[in-house]
Amino acid sequence: MNEAGLELIRTRRVVRDLTDAPVAREQLEIILRAAGHAPNAGNRRLQTFVAADDAGLVRVLRMVAPGMLQRPTAVIVVCVDIARAVRFGFAPDAKGLYVDVGTVTQTMLLAAHALALGAGPVTSFSRAAVAAALNLPEGLRPELMVCLGHPTATQAPPMASQRARTWRDVTHWGRY
Amino acid sequence: MSEPMVLTEDEALEILAYLVTAARTQVDEAAEYGSLRLMTAAGRLADLVTPRASAPTRAFLDGPLRALPGTATKSNDPEYAAKLDAVCAALADHLVAHFDAR
Repeated sequence: MNEAGLELIRTRRVVRDLTDAPVAREQLEIILRAAGHAPNAGNRRLQTFVAADDAGLVRVLRMVAPGMLQRPTAVIVVCVDIARAVRFGFAPDAKGLYVDVGTVTQTMLLAAHALALGAGPVTSFSRAAVAAALNLPEGLRPELMVCLGHPTATQAPPMASQRARTWRDVTHWGRY
Repeated sequence: MSEPMVLTEDEALEILAYLVTAARTQVDEAAEYGSLRLMTAAGRLADLVTPRASAPTRAFLDGPLRALPGTATKSNDPEYAAKLDAVCAALADHLVAHFDAR
């Protein structure tokens, strides 16, 4: 049993209180490489990542992302390559494309946690505005932003936990 | 009496961008996020205005306006509406004093 691995999973949190210290490129590269280890349907890798660590660009992204409560110093935008997906025969709104956004995101969040960085996902943003801000080519659709930074010593309490339901409450063994 | 400017153009654009994009995201999101986004916008505006505002306005922006946590919503706080009512009442008190309403 890899207890350290399990502990990493158990201790990961969405971290929103961040310092203004920049995230090193080397750390961003580790996180981006980790994304390549996420499970991905058919191993097709239909995501493109846009890493933003320029202060001005991060500021603009935050302006058009109502869900970005934190002030990150780096953002990795997870885009779905719709053009490639369609060439593989997927419908543009195929659910599997978004499952893969989830797996790469969680993998990156765990990598950030392993680096002692604060991280959190944001999906509430204007896709049109982010695409324009990043000058994305046609066929790339931004779907999620991983916000990164160095955590402050104290953190605001998390959103109210729904842990009144434990894993036992949401697990059914075998057929219903 | 000339009124002091409390926002730069850059700062005004930041709030404008937030409001416009929140209008779009709200089309696809749960109804309760509407209040959350509006209070977030108010908080960001307060962050920008506070350094240049009058002392009584700063007291309101740093005090009653911050009563709710940044992630509060109706479904995670049974007192959410009552707390918003309290903020609204405190705001009204400040406005009456600020504008010398009689």
